[in-house]
Amino acid sequence: MIEIEKMGKPAVPIVSGRFTDDAKASSKAFGMPDLQFVVVPRIYRNLADDLCISQTEEVIDDLIQTLTSEGNAVSVIEQQDSIIRFEGEDRYDAVLKMNKDFTLKDWSDALPIYPPTEEKVRELISGTSLPTDHVVCDMPPGFGLATVEKIAVNAAMAGAKAEHMPIIIAAVKCLSEMGSHGGKSLLMSTSPHAPILMVNGPIAKKVGLNPGSALGPGRDNEINITIGRAFYLCLKNIGMWYPNKMDMDTIGTTRKFIHCVAENEEMSPWPSYSEDRGFSKTDSTVSIFVTDGELDVQDQGNTSAGGLLKTLAYGITFGNTTLGASHAEGHQRLIFMPPDVAGPVGGEGFSKQDAKDFIHSHANTSLGKLIQYMPINDARVDDRWNWLKDKTEEERLAIEVPLLHSSSNIDIVVVGADRAKTLVFPSGPTAVTVGIDQYK
Amino acid sequence: MDLLSVLNPVAQQRGMMNIIRPNQRPSTLEGATVGLVWSGTHGGDLALNRAGEMIQERFSNVSVNFYTGGNYPSPPHIVKQAAEECDVVIGATAD
Repeated sequence: MIEIEKMGKPAVPIVSGRFTDDAKASSKAFGMPDLQFVVVPRIYRNLADDLCISQTEEVIDDLIQTLTSEGNAVSVIEQQDSIIRFEGEDRYDAVLKMNKDFTLKDWSDALPIYPPTEEKVRELISGTSLPTDHVVCDMPPGFGLATVEKIAVNAAMAGAKAEHMPIIIAAVKCLSEMGSHGGKSLLMSTSPHAPILMVNGPIAKKVGLNPGSALGPGRDNEINITIGRAFYLCLKNIGMWYPNKMDMDTIGTTRKFIHCVAENEEMSPWPSYSEDRGFSKTDSTVSIFVTDGELDVQDQGNTSAGGLLKTLAYGITFGNTTLGASHAEGHQRLIFMPPDVAGPVGGEGFSKQDAKDFIHSHANTSLGKLIQYMPINDARVDDRWNWLKDKTEEERLAIEVPLLHSSSNIDIVVVGADRAKTLVFPSGPTAVTVGIDQYK
Repeated sequence: MDLLSVLNPVAQQRGMMNIIRPNQRPSTLEGATVGLVWSGTHGGDLALNRAGEMIQERFSNVSVNFYTGGNYPSPPHIVKQAAEECDVVIGATAD
């Protein structure tokens, strides 16, 4: 609607109730904070037809009024205090007050944060040669200016160190390169799409990122958690990824306590993920995958490449397939493959691409199950699926199809400790990888 | 007593640096061409079509044009066409 306003014509969106704050936040992000809109109580998508119509009829006066009269709101450019002060009985009390205030403003993850004092922020900025006011990017989804200083403030809140800054800066830049679908639309979705960071190269070991049991809480993952948290706080306070404003999850996910992992390059039989993408072994990189769930695929005793990969192929056949035209090849699988799977597979002469091809060719499932999520007569269904309209549900369920469009929809990253327990994420669109060394 | 000073973590938004104001509205919809832009999500088409019908019932000589690109977000050429052909445009964000 803002694009239409920019083209010179009045435009009014009808917004569902829970999305009121989202509409306001999006209007700000796209430069028209005074965009007028009309609010109906319920989200149309899963509403019965008669209710879709009746709730629209109830707002028709409001809609006509909004189309034919100027709004009253006149936003002004906001100036925020750059320094915030908290007075306490002692330092502990002042820190508690700061935490309470930041939580109420939704600037934290609701866990205690470290005070981003000027001294601490300067210390973090010393971890990069970039100037303090350098704008790394406009960070989606809300397009805040990601200056080195703002990144450092949020990193300080997470407890990061100066040596982590190049990774965090590169990750912020990386998200901005993911395009409007992965970098914006999915983050704002009602599904729990969450970024995960993955580091390759020498910096991973240097800063102590854990490539083993990399995703759980606790001491061993202190650096993984800290860098992931710093990125999350940047995404929130620079990217404006605030829940119920620009993050509209229906239920949410703990994956939004964003994690950072390192690839277990020493235990991998293959070139690293970043080498596959054209970087050298001596380059440090960060990649961002957008995930939409996770599943543990267990293997209880296969030792051959074929046996292990079949377990994986059969285990990843959950979810749905895209019926729409615009993201027809978007569904992917991110596979965190532990050394006890990657080692035997590579040992039998399978390249990483061979493994992907094998998994793709064995990951078949029922088309009827894959398409159940969207009624076949929905306007978004691409014409190439028209032939399905003549099939009964039983016939659709009996049709076996590949889970994914091609083997290029599979990413394999070797992560983990001993044991053939693979972690698989529905993911997409294609990950982006950015070099870290340029931000040292 | 202790005074703790910390730096503000919230960034300035690019969109708020050059605010664009909404366009002037027509005083009436009499004789107007009303565009309905549907993002393709279930129910939004029903809502928009009903809104178009009701506007036609209340104002004379109203034309209603329905546009869809079949998916969210609406493709740029659909948005451009709606802006060029209509006096006002209504959209529905189904989610």
